[in-house]
Amino acid sequence: MNSQWTLIAGMAVVTYIPRLLPMLLLSKKEISPSFSRWMTYIPVSIFAALVASDIFFWNGTFNINPVINIKLLPSILVFLIAYKTKSLLWSIAIGLGGIALLAGIF
Amino acid sequence: MNIETIKSGVKISSPVMISYIALGVACGIVLYDAGVTVLGIGIMSFFVYAGAGQFLAASMIVLGASIPSVILMVFFLNLRHVLMSASLSSFVKEKSIGFISLFSHVLTDESYGLNYTKFRDGNWSPEEAMAMSLSTYATWVISTIVGGAVGSQFQVNTIIMNYALIAMFSCMLVLQFISLEHLIAGLVSAGTTVLLMVLIQHNISLVIATVIASFVGYYLEVRKNRRTKPDIEGSNEIE
Repeated sequence: MNSQWTLIAGMAVVTYIPRLLPMLLLSKKEISPSFSRWMTYIPVSIFAALVASDIFFWNGTFNINPVINIKLLPSILVFLIAYKTKSLLWSIAIGLGGIALLAGIF
Repeated sequence: MNIETIKSGVKISSPVMISYIALGVACGIVLYDAGVTVLGIGIMSFFVYAGAGQFLAASMIVLGASIPSVILMVFFLNLRHVLMSASLSSFVKEKSIGFISLFSHVLTDESYGLNYTKFRDGNWSPEEAMAMSLSTYATWVISTIVGGAVGSQFQVNTIIMNYALIAMFSCMLVLQFISLEHLIAGLVSAGTTVLLMVLIQHNISLVIATVIASFVGYYLEVRKNRRTKPDIEGSNEIE
């Protein structure tokens, strides 16, 4: 890809700013309580959006047939494992095992 | 930084290092598949160091997204670090700008989780936090390069590799269900995303859904607090 350096530079900037600025600036100041309360809803919303935009779609179209869209069944399993173990490693291992199995069957 | 500090930092990070090896190799494979060179993958991991962001970039490029739209999505994805960075700031107040500049670069969801818990419970120094974070950083950079090299030599099923990201996001999502309001925000976001994706078929759907759902969650929390607070105030004063 010719434009990979543009991509990398852009990603580096937009990744570093949210990591650096709050730690550098807010060590002296306090953030407003309502703003920080609102911020606690950002991660849950963005992860839900990312997961939903992926698992309910197959080849770019909405598909909730678990035989064709083989991401659905492993996702149920991953949610249960994540809830039970709270472990990133277990969730990924079980999820990958599940989808590899289904990819082999269908 | 002495040997003992490094040892205690690295000891804590070993579970994260194992998951970074697995995820890093998978991420390297999908990035190579998306057209990033092995050198590019190494440089990206070194200067960007954002597992979720790098995976997202790979899957968006494969779907034909433009560079600016990828960068915008990565930015929104990384906004979650604002809170983490802010919450760690009080523990590194005494440190130099140089220290903070490096320490904030190696802030990830996992390193934050470990460091915050350790700092909160006491007996954890910024140096140990730095050693811990640097060890996971090095693991990620090396693993993604290995993944890129593997991807350049073998044909790997990228549907399966990309699913590593979805499984990781799903786990992070479940970990965010800290109250009923957060659970509702997640459901609103998921529903809105699917609806918008079907209607306008554009990745901006995720951003719109995130903004709507975060305000819905916050609104519900404010309403709940308003409903419970007047009882407490009412017992003390009559208006």
